[in-house]
Amino acid sequence: MTMDEHLQTNGHPHSHLAERTSVTRAGAADLWLLPTEVRDVVSFRGSLETAPDLTGDDDLVQHLLADLLDKGTRRRDRFAIAEALEGRGAQLTFYPDTLRLGFAGRALRDDLPEVLALLAEQLREPLLDPDEVEKERARAVAGVRQAMESTAAQATGALKRRLFPADHPSFVRTPEAEIAGIEAISAERLRAFHAERVAADGLRIAFAGDLDPEATARTVGGLFGGWPSHGLAARFAPGAEGYVPGEDTVPIADRLNLDVRFGHPLDLRRDAPDYLALYVGNFILGGNFSARLMQTVRDEQGLTYGISSAIGDVNVEHGGYWRIGVTLSQANLARGIEATEAVVRRFVEDGITAAELEEKQPTLAGTHVVSLATTSGLAARLLVNAERGFPVEYLDRYPDLVRALTVEEVNAAIRRHFDPERLSRAVAGTLPAAVLG
Amino acid sequence: MPEPLHHAAFEFVRESGGIEEYRHRGNGLTVLLLPEAAAPVATFMVTYRVGSRNEGAGLTGATHLLEHLMFKGTERFNREAGTSIFAVLQRVGAQMNATTWYDRTNYYELLPVEHLPLAVEIEADRMRGARVSEADLASERTVVLNELDRGENEPLRKLLHAVFATAFFAHPYGHPVIGWRSDVETVTAADLRHFYDTYYWPAHATVSVLGQIDRAEALDLVDRHFGAIPAGPEQAADAPEPLTHREAVTQEPPQQGERRVIVRQAGQLGAVLCAWKAPAGLDADADALDVLDQILSGGKSSRLYRRLTDRGLTTHVSTFFPRLRDPGLFAIYAMLAPDGAHEAVEAELRAVAAEIAAEGVTPDELARARRQVVADEAFGRDGPYAVAARLNEAIAVGDWTLFTEYRSRIEAVTAEAVQAAARKVFLDDLLTVGHYVPVEGDGPGGDASPE
Repeated sequence: MTMDEHLQTNGHPHSHLAERTSVTRAGAADLWLLPTEVRDVVSFRGSLETAPDLTGDDDLVQHLLADLLDKGTRRRDRFAIAEALEGRGAQLTFYPDTLRLGFAGRALRDDLPEVLALLAEQLREPLLDPDEVEKERARAVAGVRQAMESTAAQATGALKRRLFPADHPSFVRTPEAEIAGIEAISAERLRAFHAERVAADGLRIAFAGDLDPEATARTVGGLFGGWPSHGLAARFAPGAEGYVPGEDTVPIADRLNLDVRFGHPLDLRRDAPDYLALYVGNFILGGNFSARLMQTVRDEQGLTYGISSAIGDVNVEHGGYWRIGVTLSQANLARGIEATEAVVRRFVEDGITAAELEEKQPTLAGTHVVSLATTSGLAARLLVNAERGFPVEYLDRYPDLVRALTVEEVNAAIRRHFDPERLSRAVAGTLPAAVLG
Repeated sequence: MPEPLHHAAFEFVRESGGIEEYRHRGNGLTVLLLPEAAAPVATFMVTYRVGSRNEGAGLTGATHLLEHLMFKGTERFNREAGTSIFAVLQRVGAQMNATTWYDRTNYYELLPVEHLPLAVEIEADRMRGARVSEADLASERTVVLNELDRGENEPLRKLLHAVFATAFFAHPYGHPVIGWRSDVETVTAADLRHFYDTYYWPAHATVSVLGQIDRAEALDLVDRHFGAIPAGPEQAADAPEPLTHREAVTQEPPQQGERRVIVRQAGQLGAVLCAWKAPAGLDADADALDVLDQILSGGKSSRLYRRLTDRGLTTHVSTFFPRLRDPGLFAIYAMLAPDGAHEAVEAELRAVAAEIAAEGVTPDELARARRQVVADEAFGRDGPYAVAARLNEAIAVGDWTLFTEYRSRIEAVTAEAVQAAARKVFLDDLLTVGHYVPVEGDGPGGDASPE
């Protein structure tokens, strides 16, 4: 049976996520619950909408807050939290996700209620003790300084500063501005942010694994039953008006491998009619090892270990960017940049071929099936899909939507959204003397 | 458990934890089968029991470079014919790659189960049919040199290379898996071909088939594609030349004193690495050292987190105890806080080690570590690739049942065993200390120098 036949006949019961996923409301939370055949383990992933004001420093506050949620609650100190999780072999982490506060966890089946109770406690009653805030600030500053050694982080940061206004969710501060911003955040500020913005708004949790949907929903309902909403709206720039292309370099000593990033803003949303066509078009350019960039610049020309292209940060609330990234040894910097630009230019000018589309359609369908093979992968896909406001059926229909795309649709999307003339470029590392001079 | 299969081409060897081992009657190829019904995907993996451990002077990095060339193709699957291995497999949605490590090289495909035959066919074809040509090496050598440069950008990796090179004078674990730069620059296709012709045979390989598979069909598939390959060069009528493979490699003489190394490079934050000589992966003390690894650095309740990171001395502390075929290292590494001092952090790391050797671990610590390992084991079976990755390391150490019996082995570890292992390992004479010292601006080029 070919891949196409497999998907069309739905020969396997696992093909239909929508039929197997319970979607329900429990207390203040919307839940997606998917029992699978894996034994003993459950993964979950969730988020809530904090409505940050990105015209200020709410993004930095939210980041620090996420790092502080496991440093004590009103009922237990940081070590008691760590022991409660680690004593069960469970994991629970919080992370900032631009307009949302995200969390991810895993537990053995029987420990899930206890881990969820801890999740609720950490989200609703964090201690935000001034001593812990001070330590976390120091760790965050150290993290920024470590990133200053990373050519990849510095090239991406420079590109995003060039592409986006300061109040766009994708904007990245300079390391110096970020350190100053972190150092200015007080415990009072964190407490105020938590009190105002960490609430039940947009609370969604997706579960996958060895679980009982009804019992899990009851547990969540009890923990998040009376949680009120803040009702606030986020403030941010959804687009990149005023963008002017340019070139940036970030010199870093002793880094003979350089990272280069090309990109321009994309003014489209994840629910735009031509998003999928653009996604598939980009995948043909730089989505995997057999894509044009890897085949040409690495496999044929031997200029790089890694090169790829991606559509970054686009979601239903704001636009994002088109990014091409390549890693180059100092000696190959100029040739590598030239080779990359040539492939990109030709891709946009000539578009894709029918053979390329036919090759990549089953790739994307197969990758989709493989990404749903673990509980953590399932929970992540269910959550992101829900955050976009898409029904679970979308995940089931996705291979068909990809297969239905035509060469004309893909090329029209490429021409509409990708423009080599608008690309900016950022380079980070130890630049060759000729470039420095 | 299902009954062992009766198969004309394979003999059943043993079963453990749901995994069955079969051996090909013709060429000795070891096959491991693990049927899992969780999702309609399968993983196919070939583990060659050859790694940087098998490399001699002048050929460091050969295993890894050869791993790259294995994707350049065979007579049947190649770019020129429009059938490159990546294109053919990615076309059907496969996630695939290969990795090289001290004791092994593995090639794997994770793909929709109906395409499993394609993965088996390609792996069998490149076991003996790889081109390993000068032309392919020419373009891939620069790719690997770029990979090497990327690694050299990373402070911790530079420090780890310096510490391993200082700890191992004689044994091949002393050189980085990716090799020394001058060897990568000068190795020839003939060198790599010789390496390939020595090791890429059924006698040195274990094949694993995992996922939603039919066991009998899986054995049929493996026999169909691998069955005709001779066990090794000695059995091959057309082997290019007699090749010798030595199971034993140069042994490291006993370490009889502390060693120190400093790595200077332009950078922001310092790091300290303390590494003690540790027993081989199948040694009786290795399970206790895995438990100790958890107690020292398993999460925010761990000893090292409490003693260093929570007190602001470090931003991160971790342990590293790769279970290897020959004696290796038990390492602790710490990333310094912005105003942290190397000496203070080193003293604290050594104090924690000495305390465990002197006073042992608490019942709570032991229980927590065991529980973490049990949960890790359960999550290690979430998805076919997670299983394959763990199984791969057990194969490399020399006994795949280390994967299936891991939970019961860890549950049998006592507090006394942890302390006894710590006493044997945490000795100053067995210690190599590395300091990563960031310097401002244009550094000296990142050379490692003895302190």
